Amino acid sequence: MQKINRNVVLALLSLTSLVFLLFQLCYYKFYLSQKNGAAFSKVRGSQSGQDSTRWHVVRKFLGLISSHNIPVYLIDPLILGLVDKDIEQIRSSPDGPSPECKYFCAPRDFTTFALLDKTWKHEVGLFRTAEKMGFQWLKIINKDPRLDGMDDLSGMEIPLHYIFKLASHAIHLVVFYERSGNFLWHGPLRLKQHMDRKFVPFRKLHFGRYPGAYEKPELLLVSIDDLKVQIPKNPSSFLQEMSHSRFLECRYREARAFFQLYPDDASLDAVEFRKKAKSLLHLAALTLNNLGVKFWLSSGTCLGWYRQCNVIPHSKDVDLGIFIRDYKADIIPAFQKAGLPLKHKFGKVEDSLELSFQGEDDVKLDIFFFYEEDDHIWNGGTQAKSGKKFKYLFPKFTLCWTEFVELKVHVPCETLQYVEANYGPEWKVPVKTWDWKSSPSNVQDNGVWPVDEWDDVIQIY
Amino acid sequence: MDEWKLNPAVKPHKKRSWYLAWKYKLMNQRALRKLCQTGAVLFLLVTVIVNIKLILDTRRAAYEEEEESAQDYDDEMLNVEVPRHPVNNKKVLDVEVYSSRSKVYVAVDGTTVLEDEAREQGRGIHVIVLNQATGHVMAKRVFDTYSPHEDEAMVLFLNMVARGRILIFTVKDEGSFHLKETAKNVLKSLGSQVAPFLSWRDMWTFVGKKGGEVYGEKHAKSPALSTWGDPVLLKTEVHLTSVEDAECHWPDTELNRRRKRFCSKVEGYGSVCSCKDPTPIEFNPDPLKDNKVFDVPVAVIAGNRPNYLYRMLRSLLSAQGVNPQMITVFIDGYYEEPMDVVELFGLSGIQHTPISIKNARVSQHYKASLTATFNLFPDAKFAVVLEEDLDISVDFFSFLSQSIHLLEEDESLYCISAWNDQGYEHTAEDPSLLYRVETMPGLGWVLRKSLYKDELEPKWPTPEKLWDWDMWMRMPEQRKGRECIIPDISRSYHFGIVGLNMNGYFHEAYFKKHKFNTVPNVQLKNVESLRKENYETEIHRLLGEAEVLDHSKNPCEDSFVPDTEGRVYVMFIKMEQEADFTTWTQLAKCLHIWDLDVRGNHKGLWRLFRKKNHFLVVGVPASPYSSKKPSLVTPIYMEPPAKEEGAVAVPAVAAAEQT
Repeated sequence: MQKINRNVVLALLSLTSLVFLLFQLCYYKFYLSQKNGAAFSKVRGSQSGQDSTRWHVVRKFLGLISSHNIPVYLIDPLILGLVDKDIEQIRSSPDGPSPECKYFCAPRDFTTFALLDKTWKHEVGLFRTAEKMGFQWLKIINKDPRLDGMDDLSGMEIPLHYIFKLASHAIHLVVFYERSGNFLWHGPLRLKQHMDRKFVPFRKLHFGRYPGAYEKPELLLVSIDDLKVQIPKNPSSFLQEMSHSRFLECRYREARAFFQLYPDDASLDAVEFRKKAKSLLHLAALTLNNLGVKFWLSSGTCLGWYRQCNVIPHSKDVDLGIFIRDYKADIIPAFQKAGLPLKHKFGKVEDSLELSFQGEDDVKLDIFFFYEEDDHIWNGGTQAKSGKKFKYLFPKFTLCWTEFVELKVHVPCETLQYVEANYGPEWKVPVKTWDWKSSPSNVQDNGVWPVDEWDDVIQIY
Repeated sequence: MDEWKLNPAVKPHKKRSWYLAWKYKLMNQRALRKLCQTGAVLFLLVTVIVNIKLILDTRRAAYEEEEESAQDYDDEMLNVEVPRHPVNNKKVLDVEVYSSRSKVYVAVDGTTVLEDEAREQGRGIHVIVLNQATGHVMAKRVFDTYSPHEDEAMVLFLNMVARGRILIFTVKDEGSFHLKETAKNVLKSLGSQVAPFLSWRDMWTFVGKKGGEVYGEKHAKSPALSTWGDPVLLKTEVHLTSVEDAECHWPDTELNRRRKRFCSKVEGYGSVCSCKDPTPIEFNPDPLKDNKVFDVPVAVIAGNRPNYLYRMLRSLLSAQGVNPQMITVFIDGYYEEPMDVVELFGLSGIQHTPISIKNARVSQHYKASLTATFNLFPDAKFAVVLEEDLDISVDFFSFLSQSIHLLEEDESLYCISAWNDQGYEHTAEDPSLLYRVETMPGLGWVLRKSLYKDELEPKWPTPEKLWDWDMWMRMPEQRKGRECIIPDISRSYHFGIVGLNMNGYFHEAYFKKHKFNTVPNVQLKNVESLRKENYETEIHRLLGEAEVLDHSKNPCEDSFVPDTEGRVYVMFIKMEQEADFTTWTQLAKCLHIWDLDVRGNHKGLWRLFRKKNHFLVVGVPASPYSSKKPSLVTPIYMEPPAKEEGAVAVPAVAAAEQT
């Protein structure tokens, strides 16, 4: 009896265990196909059914948009990455039939395309056709940032993203808008309350976590996997750009509040200074961009952007920051060639470098070079008459794009920390007298330049 | 064994027999067997526990992920409740209408939709149109039928209202004095018993359905000439129909869906909402060949005059070469009806919270609209600026396309305008002719982005300055000696009668007889001659060939200009210095052209047409063209009337009125 009992118990336990195992497997399968498509399809990556689904969905989508004459281009980082490896071959044989499905069958959840807003007319017909073809679609709209800076204008909300879903694959269509400063902008993807949060795994989207800024791409019509599609002419530089594309909108609402408190200076002098500062900044941006030197708005110019979305009229100069690793010896001649003579040069590349160029009528362009340490970033200052050195400390920061006086420029993404480091917690209050040696809250004495180096590290023209 | 055969892919038979042998061996050793059994039990238990834990973990992770997944993407304004209109299933509306000498009101289901007790205002017959299915107010008008011609406007309006709509009438103060037979008959045909006999200072209320039943009517006769009838209050019920009955059955297209939305909301737009054969809302005018202004944004500046906006947009969208995608309508204020009109035509509209008052409000609205236009179209080098009370000529864009390169290349230009201040029926003749003028006419013009961004925007008058934007733009500090290009025959027509700086008299006197081009595809002649230097050559050539008129005659007389056609004549007037316009103003007055300020001059020269002859007026000696005056000719001097009539105190600007 005992033996039978034992066997029964054993059998029962085995059964339960088996049931659990099965149940778990089912659950796992169900959960993964819902949420972790990529991981799961990687497991089954070799299965051609899944692969060709992606290709078919892309083909259907391309058919849909070409039937409505909507020019889209491929910006999917995964596919562009694959394309980039074979770019020479693809470029040289734009029409060649491809033996295997190499790109559009690659395992992924989405295929991302871009659409330039001004190239289509927002026809409703597109969505009707899409529905007829079996697509489910989702539209994400939001406020138009181009009107955000305007006092009290309320326009219609603009579409920022579309998602077309068919079977297990989805197409993410990112709408790009032209912004002042000659660049393209796409909005963040934010779901409204009533939207279906499970429509697609939104977290896996490559675009939409933040707004982004891009140069207008040159496009190339290619045929990959027997599908004709436009891609950025240089996929690798597009991918490069994409990784640093995060865009920060100016804080227009706060800027308005600031102007309520401290009305803007509308005097003729202020108007003139702003005009000069703007053109100086444009010239500086052009010069540095031509050299391929990354720069950002620093000090007073950055404060002006952050606090009031404009140039501070009493600031009297334009301040830029550059990482010392991006320093190029060509910078000085390039500026001189652009009509901006060197006014002074303090420090040296190894330590506390600072350049100052003379713009039109007393408006000065200051370029500070930033040195990166393990836990902070600093730039240096030098007092000409005493040879004293100063050090301005900043917490570590990364760079974001923004729009400022009709220009696409970098600012520190962690702007508040940056501004607070420089101007202290009272940065919101305008100060007209500013001593760069003592006023900044992040200034430190940094010794004195050895006298024999003075000729080199203190150059005044 | 059968069991295994079913699944041949598993283990070979050989292996199994080895396993059985091994098992048998073990079973013989009891202790070992027991150990194995216990081990198995333990192992199974552990499996079960691990399994349960795994399931729980996966589930929690999945749940968390779900929660999180969308979190980054949630809109910040999560907690804002979207106000939903309650679904109105009610079939009956309670309507209250009150008519009296000093106050009228209308309440629908307890909501006041009209209340007017202002003094000296709102006299006459108030009309409200309700949607017969929803009970929403679709139109609200007041016709001052105490004054002449207002009854005609009322008839026109009532004829435009679709059949089946609910009409509510109520009289404030007096509504019968100029209520003529035609109007009375229309009211009678709506079912009113009283209207034909409505008389002096009677009070009257009426609710009825157009082309259908009467829901109620009340009337109080005025006992004597000097007194008013007693106030009347009409309370009645109106039965709503179903939505299907209230709508037309147009074919289901994108356009008709827009039309439907529009027609179920507002009334008074006539055939656009007619069920049979409605007027088109898409025009598809011929495209322009080589259109240089296809990508130029068009800003339409609007206030709350939706009927004007409707007329304006129709003409704009019918102009050849129009690009609807580039049009943005800027509405000064949160008015619904203008926005409905914008949406009817499928255009984009932007509303602007009003800042400041009167002229300054208009000025701020202009600034916001221009800034927004260049923000929305950052690539644009120009913007076309239009107002809601303009008709746009069919060749408006063709005119701009042919001339815009001048604005791009010639630094001495301030704008291109479609409006010739002096282009009246009797003074404009040649649709292909262009002028350079020192004044900025506005009323349909092109603005250069660099001018706006670098010069105008930074010093635009602030809200506390009650300036007219166009007067400000005309000031020498802004204009800096630059000129505008205008056509001889205007490409826009100013039809607005109500407005901030506008009234019927003013419009009749200065705008009604303005010439407006209706010829499509006019080829402009000799556009290059409009460049700064070329224009001087052209003027000298003209003056060289011009015949000098007889200066002994009165220039105001018709006989001053001979009865010829196609000739060029010149006359010389006295103009002591650059700002001396005494004689010109008198001349303009008697020629019945714009005389409220000086317009249309170029270096002391005016160009217009008289009797189909080109007619040049040169101010001597201020004008550099004075040298062309034969020495024997004495420039004509006209004295201003001894006493200025105080009556003409109309502001000289008519560009941007708002009600």
